[in-house]
Amino acid sequence: MLRIAGLSKHLGDFTLTDVNLTVAEREYFIILGPTGAGKTILLETIAGIYAPDAGTITLDGRDVTATDPKDRGVGMVYQDYMLFPHLTIEENIGFGLLQRGVEPARIQESVQEIAGLLGIDHLLGRTPGTLSGGEQQRAAISRALVLRPRILLLDEPLSALDTGTRDRFRKELKAVHRATGTTVVHITHHFEDVFALADRVAVMQDGKVVQVGTPDEVFRRPATEFVAAFTGMENVFYGVSRIQNGETVIDLGGISIRTATDVEGDVCLGIRPEEVIVSREPFESSAINAFPGTVTEVRQNGIFSRVVVETGVPFVAVLTRQSIARLDLAEGKEAYVTFKASAVHVFMR
Amino acid sequence: MPPNRDALPHPTPFRVLFLAVLFGVIAYMAVVIVGLVAYPPLPALIESLTSPEILFAVELSLITSAISTTLCVTAAVPVAYALVRFSFPGKRIANTIFNIPLALPPLVAGVALLIFYGPSAFGQMLSRWGLDVVYTPLGIIVAQFFVNLPYMVRITRSAFEAINPRYEHVARTLGCTEWGAFRQVTLPLAKNGLIAGLVITWSKSIGEFGAVLMLAGATQMKTETLPIALFLNMSTGDLDLAIAAAVILIVISVVSLSVFEHYSGTREVF
Repeated sequence: MLRIAGLSKHLGDFTLTDVNLTVAEREYFIILGPTGAGKTILLETIAGIYAPDAGTITLDGRDVTATDPKDRGVGMVYQDYMLFPHLTIEENIGFGLLQRGVEPARIQESVQEIAGLLGIDHLLGRTPGTLSGGEQQRAAISRALVLRPRILLLDEPLSALDTGTRDRFRKELKAVHRATGTTVVHITHHFEDVFALADRVAVMQDGKVVQVGTPDEVFRRPATEFVAAFTGMENVFYGVSRIQNGETVIDLGGISIRTATDVEGDVCLGIRPEEVIVSREPFESSAINAFPGTVTEVRQNGIFSRVVVETGVPFVAVLTRQSIARLDLAEGKEAYVTFKASAVHVFMR
Repeated sequence: MPPNRDALPHPTPFRVLFLAVLFGVIAYMAVVIVGLVAYPPLPALIESLTSPEILFAVELSLITSAISTTLCVTAAVPVAYALVRFSFPGKRIANTIFNIPLALPPLVAGVALLIFYGPSAFGQMLSRWGLDVVYTPLGIIVAQFFVNLPYMVRITRSAFEAINPRYEHVARTLGCTEWGAFRQVTLPLAKNGLIAGLVITWSKSIGEFGAVLMLAGATQMKTETLPIALFLNMSTGDLDLAIAAAVILIVISVVSLSVFEHYSGTREVF
């Protein structure tokens, strides 16, 4: 278990202010925040690269605030992998075991085992520069995991990857977490990572933790305007996905949504408010999801307004003031919500 | 296919003029240098190259430059690393101080060293311990070290700057001490920059004249490095020996510069 209490650190342009977090054993904990929120500094302070100005860090009941990084039992994986370019992948993964004086045969065995788990055992003889981003990421994670760290720190592990690789890699991260049972602290500025991976999430802003909770709590009841704006996906629903006759339908209890995903089972789905079309009449279009409902809220918010339409589940849409006037939308009026299957972002739970 | 902008078939007056100046300057430099090498008849050049005085100068230059370069590297590595990685009060000033000797004429450095190791209290103390720097071969090493250290620091600094500190951070979470991370990760990654710096520092120390002249003097067969040999024989009118020393210096600079370029890429140094 990781416990961070009253942690403050000032470093260059970045500041952490009174950070308090508790990450449970085997938990997958995500720290969400925009670039510049101080997330990486927090990870590096947990790893022991920087000494905090104030506060304590406790790992499994032991105060490690002043402990050297090498003795903390913390694994660190940076966004840009940081594989040692002058060593082979095998030497990179075995680097930590070598420091601990493990005998070469045992090192080779452990490296093989972890590389097999991450699916890179055929790349062990190569140098980092010849690997793709996804392969380098697997190697970097192997290098940290082979030491069986008490806690694995992941710094934006998915943001350097292209979209397809990123989706695949999310699933692998989840599988690795299940297989090893390692406690993970993962920082990101993609809320998709939260849906797909997190047991709990902390939202950071300007060096402060502004909210901690399950993804559901944070997305449904954002504690601050900032969290609401940053998380962006206000239409977050849980349901069961089934593929029938080559079509994916997600049952939300009240209504069924059609999507372009191939994920089956318990899912979480999100739709951005700007992708929800509101109309007074049903209309013919390529958008496959259309539901009748009642407007329950119209709220002015800058140049855009939030409109909530209750269809069995509440959908939030963002409209300009002109559109609201043109459609004559107001609380209690009937309206249709329409959105494309591709606007539905689906995450396996 | 779009026309290749760099191809020559469509010369504009602008391009012709600039290229003409370029090739004119290259031709000028080549003629001057080759003219020096080709000036003496070959047998005379070979005879001068194998004369005892030139052989002595070569040996003295090699020994002193090897020692001063070793000292430069030994000092420059921690200095450059600290300048790059650590924050400390006066860091900007420290960086500036290492740039001063680049602009300072070596003659001035030589005079300063002469005062420091000669009549100053420190110089007197060394002298009482039997350690004479002024007008001795030891002075050559001291002068070369002092003048060339800033160059070595600059090259080493840019080599360390190019290494992301996160490599060291990762190494430390993987079980390295600060020393271990430096030795196993930083030094291997800085290797090419360090080799480039070593070669150029060595080459510059072999060619160092002004500071050596001031501190070690120009005593024939005693503090006579290659540049000093060139100077002494020039002033006594012994042109063949002077040219022999010059030819060796030319060969050393050409070879070391190509080694430097090979290892440094196009890193800016001066």
